[in-house]
Amino acid sequence: MSKSVLVVDDSASIRQMVSLTLSGAGYATLEAIDGEDGYAKATANPIRAVVTDLNMPRMNGIEFIRKFRAHPSSTGVPIIFLTTESDEDMKRQAKEAGATAWMVKPFKQDQLLAVIKKVAGP
Amino acid sequence: MTVMDPRDVFHQEARELLDQLEEALLDLGTSSDDRDLVDCAFRALHTIKGSGAMFGFDEVAGFVHEFETAFDRVRKGSVAVSPPLVQVALAAKDHIARLIAEPGLHAADGETILKKLRAIVSSDEDSGRSDSFAPADAQASAAEPSRVQSPLQTWRVKFRLAENALVLGANPVLLLNELRELGPCEVSVAVDAVPPLESIDSEVCYLDWEVVVSTDRPRQAIDDVFIFIADGMELSIETLAGTVAESPRDDKAATTKAVDVDKPRDSTGAGAKGGTSVRVAAERLDELMDRVGELVIAQARLSQLAVASDDGNLKNVAEEMERLASSLRDTTMGIRMVPIGSLFGRFRRLVHDLSHDLDKEVDFVTAGEDTELDKTVIERLADPLVHLIRNSIDHGLEVPSRRIAAGKAARGQVRLSAVHTGSEVAISIVDDGAGLDADRIRAKAEEAGLIAPDAKLADHDLFQMVFHPGFSTAKEITALSGRGVGMDVVKRTIEGLRGRIDLGSRPSGGTTVTLRLPLTLAIIEGMLVRVGQGRYSIPLSAVEECVELPRDAEAGNSGRNFLNIRGHLVPFLRLRELFKTRTAIEPHQKVVIVSAGESRVGLVVDQVIGNSQTVIKSLSKLHADVENFSGATILGDGTVALILDVAHLVSFGQEFESRLRDERIGRAA
Amino acid sequence: MRTGIHPGHAGRAMTALTLRLQDEVFAIDAESVREILDVVPITEVPNANAFVGGLINVRGRIVPLADLRLLFGMDRPPPDVNTRIVVIEIDLDGEPTIVAVLADRVHDVSEIEAATIEQAPKIGMRWRPKYVHGIGKRGDEFIIIPEMGRIFATGDAGPSVSQKRG
Repeated sequence: MSKSVLVVDDSASIRQMVSLTLSGAGYATLEAIDGEDGYAKATANPIRAVVTDLNMPRMNGIEFIRKFRAHPSSTGVPIIFLTTESDEDMKRQAKEAGATAWMVKPFKQDQLLAVIKKVAGP
Repeated sequence: MTVMDPRDVFHQEARELLDQLEEALLDLGTSSDDRDLVDCAFRALHTIKGSGAMFGFDEVAGFVHEFETAFDRVRKGSVAVSPPLVQVALAAKDHIARLIAEPGLHAADGETILKKLRAIVSSDEDSGRSDSFAPADAQASAAEPSRVQSPLQTWRVKFRLAENALVLGANPVLLLNELRELGPCEVSVAVDAVPPLESIDSEVCYLDWEVVVSTDRPRQAIDDVFIFIADGMELSIETLAGTVAESPRDDKAATTKAVDVDKPRDSTGAGAKGGTSVRVAAERLDELMDRVGELVIAQARLSQLAVASDDGNLKNVAEEMERLASSLRDTTMGIRMVPIGSLFGRFRRLVHDLSHDLDKEVDFVTAGEDTELDKTVIERLADPLVHLIRNSIDHGLEVPSRRIAAGKAARGQVRLSAVHTGSEVAISIVDDGAGLDADRIRAKAEEAGLIAPDAKLADHDLFQMVFHPGFSTAKEITALSGRGVGMDVVKRTIEGLRGRIDLGSRPSGGTTVTLRLPLTLAIIEGMLVRVGQGRYSIPLSAVEECVELPRDAEAGNSGRNFLNIRGHLVPFLRLRELFKTRTAIEPHQKVVIVSAGESRVGLVVDQVIGNSQTVIKSLSKLHADVENFSGATILGDGTVALILDVAHLVSFGQEFESRLRDERIGRAA
Repeated sequence: MRTGIHPGHAGRAMTALTLRLQDEVFAIDAESVREILDVVPITEVPNANAFVGGLINVRGRIVPLADLRLLFGMDRPPPDVNTRIVVIEIDLDGEPTIVAVLADRVHDVSEIEAATIEQAPKIGMRWRPKYVHGIGKRGDEFIIIPEMGRIFATGDAGPSVSQKRG
């Protein structure tokens, strides 16, 4: 069974856009609607990489990254976060929490693929 | 599986977010210091900005960005929420909706709104316009390595990953591959730093890599390979033909972008709806319901076979199937049911605006938000309810001065409520306004030629005139004629949902409009009865009880068409007569007492067979004119049975009763 | 349209299911035929137009059952061993609709040469011209091609039909 890229975003449109882009490039994907959902799915499924939004209800992206990194199954799993701001503080927090890479919204599909390929392999 | 276009998803999502925003803003109107509401409004805005920018709605992203910036002081708590602020925020929300619906047409209007907003939030201070939001293409250059060509150069790249890099998902193989894409590489690795076996941490990378790469790409391309892992790693890049000074890595360079917004928001779930949800196309739900319906029918056949069989195992399986099918049915039906509160929420804005525009103070009270109805029904109710609420406020409620003169509170009230009654849901719109003016309705109806000038009509019947299509053609716009505008359309819509509409009013006491809607479940529990050779199903939720038809009423046409049910007279209908059954009358007929709303009627049948699950199938157009039946179902033995339309039969029975009464009174006089 | 047969169009043969209603042979465009069933239990719809007075269960689908004999003023003996139910798809006010018609006997599927199909005469026919699309000929036998769309058109097939019961 192939491992999935977990897409965590409260915005259905972005979630779908990311998933379609990834699955179009041959990645298996899995979707979660917020940090809590993301954590549950990340720890229950074989995950190849995570793409997560930061600003989400219930559990935001930073908490999610922190919590997932505390779980043994996150070892070696790259986490890419999406952010609307170039706010250094936000990015620093996410990196400290254990994120691997980031994308600034808006991004194009090929940019997303480039980053995924970079951190998770083709 | 059908996949929706993400842009369509964005439209739908934006609608929901805007609803959420509006709800939060309206709530802020009443509890202005609720931080959770402010956060909720902000998160909705922020998500719209993010996804708007993703899908090319740059105007939306730009406007929301400006709006967020101006609104920021509210979020920080340095400016209080005030009614004018809510008003302008609502205008902004509408503007966003327009920008999404018709891109390119409304951009100019945004500045007016922002000006107003800035004036409100920064009365004493410079409005502090932010840098403008540019949906820039300046995405991390890592993502799209620039194709700028430089003279071919050879570089020596030495690196060692940070201790925790592997744990955090870095992969040296991928890094090496990326370097190889830049040009021919020679890779060597130094193992000097690898500790003795016993102290090796398997999750740490101890290797020092050295790569000599020849490329025509600029140095930036090499920097970009390490863009995400530069923190804490050792990296040196030098040209072999004369060294280029190594610069400390700065990840800012990689992600520089024209966006410079507010502080991060670690907002938690405040105000957001809990629970995970999945979006499913309505047609697929219908399909699922059809399959479940077929399953239920097949299961009923199995049960019938099991009953006739001596095989104990078969009986067990049949019972198990019955249990599973019934729980599957309930679950599936539950998926289609939506609390009506989702609809009620939409009207708050309507009331807010009408109250503002008409200068009438209105308390909008809702009750029974949890009442569940089929999703399709709820969607189709929206327009009629908008219409009725508008009527109540526009034409029902008086202006404050007139209310005070009439001894009422200056604030009017419109109450929207929903409640389950038997197999129906009753939705009421009640206002405490002036009530319908019977004399003026009569005058209008006479003028339109709907009633004869000397016709004697009870108020109840007179009020029905407002539903007449002819009534709404009145040119004169008065408080009265307004009631008629489009009421025929409302009535048609409700009847299209197999519902009914009641209208009640007292002079100066207000008007009550009640919509009664069947739950329109695709599957119901039915009571199977026999009339002649035909079998019919009666929705069990409408059945109150079954009694024997008294011997003296059996003969029929005895003039006695009422039953005394615990002191109440209940009219009954002989279904054999109604259905023109040709077989001989059987002894021991039963009466099934059914109710719709507050009215009851007895249905005389030849036999009560029992209860069964009934999958409602609608009748084709060819039978559209057939009364008394709301649909048909397939029985366990594969034959078709018609489902009785209880609401129709009850009103028919009531008419029958009053006609009979009138005759009697006529005879007595 | 399913019943799109064009009499008189040179060279176009009509593939039709032929069936017997009393003494007459009828042809229904084979393309519109979904299936042919033995007689199944028929549920009477009280107060419905007698022409579509029944409902049957076709594989979990509730389908109105029409008796064309009523429209053509024929005797209507009860079903016997030869009686069949022909399930067809028609165009009803623009919507494809599944209906069933009773047949005293189903013959075969055959080609009817377009050249032999003639417009129904406006006079001199026992049946209402609007229900007849054309008359075909096979050997010495006349074949009635009914105009299914009009026969089932909502509100059309009804009260004005003269009934002859035998």
